[in-house]
Amino acid sequence: MNGPKFPLNDLTRRRLLQGAAALGGAAGLSTLGVSRAFAQEPEKPAELIVRAWGGSWVDSLKAGVSDPFTKATGIAIRHDLTEDNEIQPKVWAAVAQKRVPPIHINWDTTTNATKSALRGVTEDLSDLPNLKNTTDLSKPVGLDGYPIVNTYGYVYVLAYRPEAFPNGAPKSWKDLLDPKFKGRIALYNDGIGFHFPAQVAGGGKLEDIPGNMQPAWDFVAKMKEQSPLLGEDPDFTTWFQKGEIDAACTISTNAREARKAGLDIKWVVPEEGAKYDTDGLWIPKGLPENELYWAKQYIDFAISKDAQQVWLDGLGLPGVVPGLTPPADLVGDPSYPTTEEEFKHLIRISAKVQVENESEWFSKFKAIMQG
Amino acid sequence: MKAARTAYPIRWRVMDALEAVAGILWPRFFRAGTPYLMLAPAILLVGLLVLGLWQMADASFRTLDTNTFLLSEDYSLANYKRAVTESLFITVAGRSLVGSIIVTVLTLVISFPYAYVMVRTPSATLRKFLLIALFLPFFIGQVVRAYGWLIILGNQGMVNEAFGLIGIAPMRLLYNYPAVLFGLVQYMMPFAVLMLAPALTAIPEEIEAAAGSLGADWVRTFRHVVLPMARPGFVGAGLVVLTLSLTDFAIPAMLGGGSQDFIANAIYDQFFRTSDQGLGATLALLLVAVGSLLVGLVFTLFGAGTLAMGRVKA
Repeated sequence: MNGPKFPLNDLTRRRLLQGAAALGGAAGLSTLGVSRAFAQEPEKPAELIVRAWGGSWVDSLKAGVSDPFTKATGIAIRHDLTEDNEIQPKVWAAVAQKRVPPIHINWDTTTNATKSALRGVTEDLSDLPNLKNTTDLSKPVGLDGYPIVNTYGYVYVLAYRPEAFPNGAPKSWKDLLDPKFKGRIALYNDGIGFHFPAQVAGGGKLEDIPGNMQPAWDFVAKMKEQSPLLGEDPDFTTWFQKGEIDAACTISTNAREARKAGLDIKWVVPEEGAKYDTDGLWIPKGLPENELYWAKQYIDFAISKDAQQVWLDGLGLPGVVPGLTPPADLVGDPSYPTTEEEFKHLIRISAKVQVENESEWFSKFKAIMQG
Repeated sequence: MKAARTAYPIRWRVMDALEAVAGILWPRFFRAGTPYLMLAPAILLVGLLVLGLWQMADASFRTLDTNTFLLSEDYSLANYKRAVTESLFITVAGRSLVGSIIVTVLTLVISFPYAYVMVRTPSATLRKFLLIALFLPFFIGQVVRAYGWLIILGNQGMVNEAFGLIGIAPMRLLYNYPAVLFGLVQYMMPFAVLMLAPALTAIPEEIEAAAGSLGADWVRTFRHVVLPMARPGFVGAGLVVLTLSLTDFAIPAMLGGGSQDFIANAIYDQFFRTSDQGLGATLALLLVAVGSLLVGLVFTLFGAGTLAMGRVKA
């Protein structure tokens, strides 16, 4: 695959300042979103700090977005691997105390980012030029403007070791209730990704979310009898590698990572469906003007086709720009939905509903699992 | 002149100058306040702690508004009601309390012989070895030590591999309550030994010899002489281990497989996972209160042990 192309590489700042009109017409410049603003291009900061998830997640971001951005602008990108949940209160506190926030860009789950947007700590990103080239997926649902830009979607698949399923791939989440899987299943420690399919597997309806989720809790209670391991993203890959588990409800990227490491791992979207969600990028309020400008350029570049292609090839996830080529190993894969038919099997609940109820769902899930 | 300089050396002059400066900065009539000045670092430390607790107390009476993710302006006891009525928090609190008591008892039982041998052994080599073995874990962080157990006790770990050699199928040794307790005992042992050792050192060997010469076998000597005299060490070590276990985060998180949370894990969840700082503050304050009550109870019943630095009789 060809790497992203950067006409800016050959342009000096002096040439850039010679005229915004000429630059605005230059092919590909809009991919960096700078064509509008060259005449008053603000001072470049020495670096931008981007919070990211570790492992293959940050490697992909670096290859697809950060490194090319640095090459094009000369601005170094530092990746802060503080957990998304842990950076959130730090950013909130900084904004509340009118301090400069500790990061320039937060790579975050849309649900978490929505909380920050509701709290009013996010900058508006509606003016990013590349937004016009993206699908509806990039727009956060239930919020005004673009306090967040969604950058890709992902599926919480049922990942499994084929060796443990000699009769073929699991078809239902209920297959995990087989006693032979006691202690051999993994879920996220707050149940994220599992609440909605559990609602269906427990005999309930998605339309009843959030009003009546008893079927989901009943199914979670049955799953509790299987003594599942509860962890975070990196745990799943490790547990598969160490032979601790046979199946997991996890983001397909983690399963793919284990497969890349040489493990025999496959995944399915069971008949009840699987949760589909998005991650995004946002900028906290309180940055100096010039840093805000360049942070926006970073996000604008992240939703360019070139950047998305490389970044999301690494993650194995579908982006928000039409025409991306799926990685060869994920063509037709349910974790990389591209067709309407494939999306029919996925469960998408609005971020607003999730944000308003997440605390209660986490508590309920934890109460069952800790009991 | 030369003789005078010799009689009044330069360093004395420097000291005089320093004394004069000190006299300006801290005049003689301030001297009565010198002991209080010595307390300043402690007051500063406790003051900061109190300030933090005060802010947490304020947050604990405010509830989270999920429309804005801000804490409410008005005060209520809603968070406290949730903390003492929701099954999740009751379960986790119970597990933490029971776990910390079990860990304290086991740690003291295991640490005592270690400390006793370390103090009493006539072999300098053995004493050095025990001291090195005692201090080595302090150079390795808690997380690394917990990770070590993941490697050793995992399904494909050393222990299960050894089981495999004698025909025993791999078994799940991790991600359960006993694994958490085991990890905590291993983590707490050096603390306990360090607290027990001074108490044992303070017991003159001659007293044990005297008990023996009066016909007591080692069991009776141990029971009627060593154990009672080592009580300050047990109290001090017990308090340290109890409070550290009760508030531990990393070991339950790493060895518990996500289903054996202690209170600290629940507090973390509220602050960082559900963004409910009010409820997190409530749980944290309740933990401080319960821990303080436990320590107060032990102080009342048994004294402060070695923590009293010999000032208070146990």
